[in-house]
Amino acid sequence: MAQRRFSSNSRDDSENEEDDGEEGEEEEEDYDSDNNEAEVDDVTVSDMKREYSAEEKEEEAAAIGYKVIEPLLPSDRFFKNREPVFAVVQVGSHQFKVSNGDCIYVERLKFCEVNDKLILNKVLMLGTSTQTIIGRPILPDAAVHAVVEEHALDAKVIIFKKKRRKNYRRTKGHRQELTRLRIADIQGIEKPEPKVDPKQKRAAVKQQEKVAVAA
Amino acid sequence: MESNLPAFKESNPQLEVITELSRGQHPCLKAFYKNKNERVVCVKNLASEDVLLHATRLRNALGRKVKKLPTRHVTRHPSVQGTWTTGVRF
Repeated sequence: MAQRRFSSNSRDDSENEEDDGEEGEEEEEDYDSDNNEAEVDDVTVSDMKREYSAEEKEEEAAAIGYKVIEPLLPSDRFFKNREPVFAVVQVGSHQFKVSNGDCIYVERLKFCEVNDKLILNKVLMLGTSTQTIIGRPILPDAAVHAVVEEHALDAKVIIFKKKRRKNYRRTKGHRQELTRLRIADIQGIEKPEPKVDPKQKRAAVKQQEKVAVAA
Repeated sequence: MESNLPAFKESNPQLEVITELSRGQHPCLKAFYKNKNERVVCVKNLASEDVLLHATRLRNALGRKVKKLPTRHVTRHPSVQGTWTTGVRF
């Protein structure tokens, strides 16, 4: 019953959605029978499904600490090999220490689709193996580029309340919505040349020796 | 769902959407991911918007197994500046 009413309201709110012929008739009856209640519900529904303008979206995104650029195209060479650079970046109320190629799970970010490129602009610290830049509290000209990989639900958390000797127990499940981001690039610090692995060097040297022996 | 499905199909050209009629069973959405995982969601008695929501959720997921995350930060390169030891001089 409640479900039906909800759906009928949302139909009234947003007229752009097409109706199913069969469902429409059933809903009409319900709607007549409890008109007053439906009106009360209307307000709550419109609150929940608030329409945001582009500026509002940008503002809210900036408050959380990100900015949506554009969808990632398959032709883009957005990902690079690992660089010995890290950044401490804030998204929402969490801070992550990231370098490129990492993936982080943040609370679900609104207004972004899977495969969108983002700029995370609340960078608190940048560092390489020799240099560190600390923001007070943020570095204005630094940026971390990321790509949205997934919007998914976390594992279920069970909230269990109990009062002893009162025969009171409540169980409630919760699944947090998360967004998975892949860090693509860190900008704002000069990057040192990637060092050649000592192991590889040694292997190369050994090979040379072998060649020498064979000769 | 008849109203929303074609639009969903059009907006996601990378997906292969197939409808099947299975008599005597509850309606459900099945998602087959490229990593050979499968996810099934029951959509019995749901409004068409809710069904669409579930379909979008399946689209947005990568098909990982749902587990408790040990950490929200996954990296293969844990340290850039190296581990501190007593021998390090600045």
